[in-house]
Amino acid sequence: MFLSVGVRFEANVEALNMVETAGNYGKHRRVPYLVEEEGKLKTVYVPAMSGESLAHAYQEHLVREALSAGLPVCDDCQRGEFYKSMNKVHLKKKVDPIPDNPKSIEEAIVKACVVEDVGGFLYAEKPPVRRSSAFQVSYALPVKSVALFATSEPQLHARHAQMDASSKKGNASEQMIYYVETGTALYGFTFNLDLDAVGVSAITSKPILDEDEIKKRREASLKALFRMLSSSQFGAKLSRFFPVGGITELVVAATDYPFVVTSPIYDDYIVKTKKRLEVLRSFGEESFLAVAGEEKVPEEALKEAIDYLHEKGAF
Amino acid sequence: MVNTEYGGIVKMLRFFVQTKNFSYVDRIGNALNPEPVEVALLEALRAFRSIRESAPIDKNGRMYVEKDGNKIPVPGIPSDEEIKKFLDDVRSDMGVAKLVATLALAYPSRKENSGGGE
Ligand SMILES: [Zn+2]
Repeated sequence: MFLSVGVRFEANVEALNMVETAGNYGKHRRVPYLVEEEGKLKTVYVPAMSGESLAHAYQEHLVREALSAGLPVCDDCQRGEFYKSMNKVHLKKKVDPIPDNPKSIEEAIVKACVVEDVGGFLYAEKPPVRRSSAFQVSYALPVKSVALFATSEPQLHARHAQMDASSKKGNASEQMIYYVETGTALYGFTFNLDLDAVGVSAITSKPILDEDEIKKRREASLKALFRMLSSSQFGAKLSRFFPVGGITELVVAATDYPFVVTSPIYDDYIVKTKKRLEVLRSFGEESFLAVAGEEKVPEEALKEAIDYLHEKGAF
Repeated sequence: MVNTEYGGIVKMLRFFVQTKNFSYVDRIGNALNPEPVEVALLEALRAFRSIRESAPIDKNGRMYVEKDGNKIPVPGIPSDEEIKKFLDDVRSDMGVAKLVATLALAYPSRKENSGGGE
């Protein structure tokens, strides 16, 4: 089973993805974007959030869901440090001695950690072992039709320190002025989850875990997505730049084989997704689609999709 | 020669390269049209000014930044005429951007290796 979600969210004055600080200036991630204006294409620079940032958030939620379901998560991942068994030092914490063939290495890692099962890993030693992530996530980018109205603007902040003349050293001042570049836009992103890849070897395509364990892990990975979207706990600087806004629209499709919803950066993505699914249905493939907008809240649509997957026996 | 025409920009970009920040030089060197060059240069100048504001000064009166134990001299800010000339030239020939980025990545020749602030 394959799940694909397209999300549109409005975020005003957010600092969800900062890229670097130079002196007292913290920059928001920005990407070049091709938009049409009066029949002409032009490049504009718009605020964006990387897929890596969203993936990190998802995996943090996955840790929590897995642990509360009594599933194994390795120590590194529990701390939110997703080294993913990248070398001997990190792998040794899971399996010691380290096996000498890729199949056994993959098996040991998958058994020991749900995050590396679902989120993939790269063990860069001899022999190297690579497991693709069962979930995929795009960058969050401004919706095309309103991308020209997206802004990234620096906001001035000041940090104060109380100092009397005696404690003042050198040119340290009582006030440190700094700028935080914030973004404002209607963003869209896509999230896919291949439930068939959970607990299954990327090398042999055979299950590594028993069916019951696989089902539990699938449920945890669905709940993690639900929680991430419902709580808006993704991105950086939430403590002082929690985005003002929220999910405005969402489509969620569940299919037997990979199918990705039309990207929510296009205004007609809901209609297009429906049409594309109809074609799939005409081939006899079962599918499910739920749309959250004016009538339905995102949680309802997600819940319906999860219920559908449950009925189909995915977990 | 390019070196004298855009020397300030090359030195600034080279400073970023020395601090292991390749973002600006890559964006300028890989740009397919003038807009990304303009944006990258604007961002580079903004970041560069912030860095200069907080950079310490050594006993010879030169600004530097410490990176991995190395003291990297902070050059001067490119002049507005130089930037204007560079952007005008990029608008008519994208090769100029590529050349400037390539020079910034190259090892500086000895006679201009003095670095340092103005
Ligand atoms: Zn792990």
